[in-house]
Amino acid sequence: MLEIENLVAGYGGVAVLRDVSVNLSAGEIVGLLGANNAGKTTLINALSGIVVPMSGRILFEGRDVTRLTPRERVELGIVQVPEGRLVFPEMSVRENLQLGGINARAKPNRSRQMESVLDLFPRLKERLAQHAGTLSGGEQQMLAIGRGLMAEAKLLMLDEPSLGLSPLFVKFIFDIVDRLHAEGLTILLVEQNLMLTLRHAQRCYVLERGQVAIEGASDVIKDDPRTRSAYLGL
Amino acid sequence: MSELLQAMAQGVLIGSTYGLLALGMGLLYGVSGVVNFSHGDFISLGMFLCLALYSALSLDPYVSVFITVPVMMALGTLVFRFLIRPMIGHQFLMIVQLTLGLSLVLQNGIMMVFGGQPARTPSVVESKLMILGEVVLRVPHVIAFVASFAMAIGLFIMLRSTDFGRSIRAVHQNAHAAALMGIDVGRVQVLTFALGIGILAIAAALLLPGTPIQPTQGLRYTVITLLVVVLGGMTNFVGIMLGGLVIGISEAFGTIYLSDTLGSLMPYVIFVLIMLFRPQGLTLGSSR
Repeated sequence: MLEIENLVAGYGGVAVLRDVSVNLSAGEIVGLLGANNAGKTTLINALSGIVVPMSGRILFEGRDVTRLTPRERVELGIVQVPEGRLVFPEMSVRENLQLGGINARAKPNRSRQMESVLDLFPRLKERLAQHAGTLSGGEQQMLAIGRGLMAEAKLLMLDEPSLGLSPLFVKFIFDIVDRLHAEGLTILLVEQNLMLTLRHAQRCYVLERGQVAIEGASDVIKDDPRTRSAYLGL
Repeated sequence: MSELLQAMAQGVLIGSTYGLLALGMGLLYGVSGVVNFSHGDFISLGMFLCLALYSALSLDPYVSVFITVPVMMALGTLVFRFLIRPMIGHQFLMIVQLTLGLSLVLQNGIMMVFGGQPARTPSVVESKLMILGEVVLRVPHVIAFVASFAMAIGLFIMLRSTDFGRSIRAVHQNAHAAALMGIDVGRVQVLTFALGIGILAIAAALLLPGTPIQPTQGLRYTVITLLVVVLGGMTNFVGIMLGGLVIGISEAFGTIYLSDTLGSLMPYVIFVLIMLFRPQGLTLGSSR
């Protein structure tokens, strides 16, 4: 479904990602691991079109999307749930969800989609009229994921969904992730939390200083001694 | 007493249009961080376009808006797309410099075409009066008041409950997240600028009847608009309308109770006083 070939990308002419190749099949849940500054967020921002690649290609469902704008990519179904959630704080939960479904492909089905998102997160249903800024961190994460689903994502990229959440909420969020995966959604999971990701992802890529250091099935990666060193940046 | 009522009424009527002018500037600032120092000169341009249409086709300013609004919006789109947008993300002072330069270009352009003398654009309602008890209102002011509030309310509803309005607020609250929703941030910025210029073209026609105009007046309108936007708290739309009323009323009080030169200083004195005690602007909660 997604093929990243020899991607080089960064900011202001400085390459953060150097020659990264990553593949995802439809329906897969893949983890992207790595220490801080390993390039995880840069990679998904390149997938979203926020960061323009210097070289390499990104293919989505067989189509070259390397030069498409962020809007065009959302319309194709490449949707990011950003790190830190970034909900619109002074808009209601309902408006946040509506904005999630503002792209041309999702818009006609917005009300139907909203119902299924609210079924997934009954907590949000109780808070529909509340400003998103007044929600707890966990609720904001639900809203951010719900907003991503409103876009009718085909590939959902979750950036650090466990960040700053209580263990209870982390479990809840990852149960949701498993459920979405079971329903057939393709998921790219970006996390610093190693064990959590290995438990939920089928395969993982470990990024180290902008390059793929290790890749493979989660249980193989778990036992690979290089994982820990890559992770600790040693 | 009647003098006081007169001043209040006059201030509220004119202030509503100031508020409307400032909404355009506040919206633009909200979505792009751009403060347009040529705002007042675009108002000037709107007024002189009305004058030109009167001279050529004897159109009333209230009719001319149907021509000036689309013309000005098209011009605004070009200016934003090719001059202002390339500067976004650079030093804030570069945008100030650019729009100040634009102000001079507009001012002198108007002067080249229309000459430097004050001019008037007649309207059928120009000298009509409305008498409410002891208060005498000029009909153009009443029209300006009604139209300004109607447009402010329309704008508010648009921001609240249309997808375009929600996009504007989304870009304002977090441009990065808005882009991730598939909102074309650049397009929202251009359309907001064009919208602001369109509003200003209408405001120009509303302010025009009975007011002598001259090419150098633009900066005065820019400063008045800036005062109102700052008073209102930059992006708080209710606050901005309120700020418009405060500036309008202080101007009216100044001209009625004080000598001419001293009177026109009133809005600035009031502004400085309010800023000393309420630097966050008039209203506390924001409605962005």
